[in-house]
Amino acid sequence: MTKPLPIPPVAVTAYQCVSAAGDDVEALYNSLIANRSCLQPLRLFDIPFKTVVGEVATPLPHIRAGLKAYDCRNARLALKALNQGRFRTDVERAIADYGSLRVGLVLGTSTSGIYDSENAYAHLLSHGIMPGDFHFLQIQTAQATAEFLHHELKLQGPCYGISTACSSSAKALGAAQRLIAADFCDAVLVAGVDSLCRLTLRGFHSLQLISQEACRPMDANRRGINIGEGSALLLLERQSAANAACLRLLSVGESSDAHHMSAPHPQGAGAALAMAHALRLAGRDLNDVDYINLHATASTLNDLSEAKAIAGLFPNPPPCSGVKGLLGHTLGAAGAVETIVSLLALERGFLPGTCGLAQADPDCPCPVIVAPRLERAPKLVLSNAFGFGGNNASVLLEAA
Amino acid sequence: MDCMSLLGFGACSPDPEFRARLPFPVYDIDRDAIPPLLRRRSSQATQMAFSAATLACTQAQRSAATLPSVFASVAGEIRTTDQLCTELVRPDGVISPSVFHNSVQNTAAGYWTIAQQCLQPAAALAAGADTFAMALLEAWCQLACLGGELLLVGYDESLPKYLAPGLAEPAFACALVLAAGAVEGRILQIGRPRPGAEAFPPDWQSLVADRPVLSAIPLLGLAASGAEAQNIPVSPLTSGWQVKISPP
Repeated sequence: MTKPLPIPPVAVTAYQCVSAAGDDVEALYNSLIANRSCLQPLRLFDIPFKTVVGEVATPLPHIRAGLKAYDCRNARLALKALNQGRFRTDVERAIADYGSLRVGLVLGTSTSGIYDSENAYAHLLSHGIMPGDFHFLQIQTAQATAEFLHHELKLQGPCYGISTACSSSAKALGAAQRLIAADFCDAVLVAGVDSLCRLTLRGFHSLQLISQEACRPMDANRRGINIGEGSALLLLERQSAANAACLRLLSVGESSDAHHMSAPHPQGAGAALAMAHALRLAGRDLNDVDYINLHATASTLNDLSEAKAIAGLFPNPPPCSGVKGLLGHTLGAAGAVETIVSLLALERGFLPGTCGLAQADPDCPCPVIVAPRLERAPKLVLSNAFGFGGNNASVLLEAA
Repeated sequence: MDCMSLLGFGACSPDPEFRARLPFPVYDIDRDAIPPLLRRRSSQATQMAFSAATLACTQAQRSAATLPSVFASVAGEIRTTDQLCTELVRPDGVISPSVFHNSVQNTAAGYWTIAQQCLQPAAALAAGADTFAMALLEAWCQLACLGGELLLVGYDESLPKYLAPGLAEPAFACALVLAAGAVEGRILQIGRPRPGAEAFPPDWQSLVADRPVLSAIPLLGLAASGAEAQNIPVSPLTSGWQVKISPP
């Protein structure tokens, strides 16, 4: 008899995603199969340089009257994902099954509603006061959109936001799994939501990390990243006979680089620790992994670091690919968005490609696939998310 | 897991009048707790978090390099973010790369792991009024699932009044070194967080409601003075979260 795992796997009973690829997971799946970039010139606001972004171009829903204090682009993106397909119905079923006190919510976001705060600051500078509809706690702070969803769904379980830059929503998945393991919840809604804003566009530009053209992850001629936005929702539940046929979140491995605030460890030591930790928590071997969904931002240093981490950890690395050439880097949402990409790969049996990759970088020693592979159905997938502060998370997912 | 052990704690506020009001030792920002390269470029938030965390690790006699951490803050690096938002209004506003990467919520957590050469996971979380309560809950979950010990840091710097008038002051940070179960050298035992009706003393209630990081005050007060077993609030919300504190 094998030792029980310290943190039992949880079932992913529903997931939805709004991204530059479209309004739901079907649009995301179609985009993954077509492997055609969804990056376009920025329309939402003006910036003083050239780039392309992964913008959600379709209309966003209105926030209901009673929750207007939470109204911001981030909350609207979250609400849009909630309203796709059967997702809201699935959450309501979980509330009915377990009671609202036993359903938690963990949000991962890097900039929350700061796009709307930026607009409020324009008012502040011209009028000397913030506009009347600016509510700092309900718009700008890291749990703001978590509270919005909590109220929208009438949840009563634990509710918080994790904000560790680009690993935020991957870490939110880990926190949610522990809330179930420690018996505070039977189900947790995990949300990864980040909207385009001037702060990140111009901030990454100041770091000279923004690519003018569509990004080229793991390419020898990559020139930096493109920013995207997105809203990814996942409903995690304690495993039971009723959800035995669902995909499973096995573990989230986490680590710190302890190296630099904005540059990764050159050998990917922290990234390797996170991947190894995910496998150890789930009691799986390196050889069991049959696809790695890369963080692969297309920044020179990040891709090099991640490739070295994989080459150093895996004696025989599995096929790898990254999707930021399709969607852009959705920052705090990336962990959840790309976990959903990985779930689609597991559920529908394919490996995503790496849009934008033309000439593999010989210095990046991991087997990156260019075009989607429809003949390969993975069973065990790692999905990486690494952020500022050397904050690393690697999500391990398994087919039903 | 039946309880967490409190092995060490620390508190920091740059406001001497506020320090004098608190029923446990609170210190000013300790420049020696901050690496020389960071002293001039780090925020009040990060400097307070480092100061409190260093006090807690020293009291607990634990090396910070080995401890996973949970950093909790309502507003994070709000003064740095405020500076950026002001610049962003202008098309020619100056965005400094280091100011940008120092605006993320996990700035204090990131610099802490770098300064301590700590490879363990570091979380940065926010939960409005429930920020301290959710940090304790996250700490409980990590310790219950994985065992061992961790560092919890709660902090909020002072922020511009136009953002949220009541939230602006005082700046405060606290840190707790916690262990899974009842372990040797504990100052207090902390029970499982749960929803409850415990309320703050009337003279603290409105201040804690405005500054949720101050929700740690009853716990820190008991850690300093010792007391009989009792339930204490860890959130200013009505029907908020509470924990049972027991003597060692």
